[in-house]
Amino acid sequence: MSESIVRTRRWSRLEYDRLIEEGVFQPGERLELLAGQLVVREPQGTPHATGIRLVTRALREVFADDRWIVDMQLPVALDEESEPEPDVTVTAGDPRDYLPSHPARPVLVVEVAEANLALDRKEKGSLYGRARVPEYWILNLRDRVLEVYREPHPDPSAPHGWAYRSRQSLAAGEHVTPLGAPTARIAVADLLP
Amino acid sequence: MSETLQVRTRRWSRTEYDRLIALGIIQEDERLELLAGELVLRDRQSPGHAYAIEAVSEALRDAVAPGGHVRILSPIALDGESEPEPDLSVVPGAIRDYRDDHPSQPTLLVEVADTSLTFDREYKGSLYARARVPEYWIVNLNDRVLEVYREPGPDTSALYGWAYRAVQSLNAEEHVSPLAAPTARINVADVLP
Repeated sequence: MSESIVRTRRWSRLEYDRLIEEGVFQPGERLELLAGQLVVREPQGTPHATGIRLVTRALREVFADDRWIVDMQLPVALDEESEPEPDVTVTAGDPRDYLPSHPARPVLVVEVAEANLALDRKEKGSLYGRARVPEYWILNLRDRVLEVYREPHPDPSAPHGWAYRSRQSLAAGEHVTPLGAPTARIAVADLLP
Repeated sequence: MSETLQVRTRRWSRTEYDRLIALGIIQEDERLELLAGELVLRDRQSPGHAYAIEAVSEALRDAVAPGGHVRILSPIALDGESEPEPDLSVVPGAIRDYRDDHPSQPTLLVEVADTSLTFDREYKGSLYARARVPEYWIVNLNDRVLEVYREPGPDTSALYGWAYRAVQSLNAEEHVSPLAAPTARINVADVLP
């Protein structure tokens, strides 16, 4: 269906949460709300799953104290029309802080990308930028690099009007220091499956 | 390297759609149609659009009685993933036959098109043909013609694998007899604003 001739209904985050509460979705459905669209998450292969585990392990070592939560594929209340479930997030606080509502302000979001790089770079990159997520990583399994995005800023050419100004692509021999853990040093090689 | 954004959005069945309405998650006054699993927004009607609906209704009402009747903007249970609300439909039987279920076997569907012409031709035309609706009219306000589509058949080049084989474009001087009322004679001029 061509987007130019059809406008589909968009969902707010509150409506999406209500759909979940009412049990409208089938058990085991993998969905994310992205800019009002209910996007189906593709099934994951073992490289993708391994990438998620490696990133999670590395980030839990770095964000080790109890001021931080490192989550795998849990919902983020990103904005009024988006509730993604990023592969890995780092959020400030205690798990019980998020009993009333999902975390809205992660300090770092990571997606592991194999086939669908365009979705993670353009669509999600613009959404996370718009929500002022200060740092976004894409573990790019196709090219075996870690893409590091920082400094969200308005960009009219981006799908949601925002993009990251600083973009780095780090190869296996390089290191990365998360903004939220300025003394840490993570080898990119440790993140790649 | 070109990157195409591939996003699959969640598709809805007609049963789920009816439940969303029953739960009040979708408001009754939202102008929506379920088309091949997608919740598509309908455009507002221009005065010419509304006029054409009423004029076609008036022209058909007596012609299709008593074996059938005319409905305006009412839902049709078209298939498992489609519940359109055509501008006008002719369905068999009496109004009280559809107290519990929407009609599923219309004999004629009519859409009035100005901005939606491509959508009504390619998208809805293929969907209605796939459901074996025997006759489909588009009141084409741009070109001031009545487009008459008949003989649904498989067509691999069509959006949903079906299309109408017989296509006629009738101008204001011509007239049409619906398949459902072969003795009736409707002047195209009478249905154009």
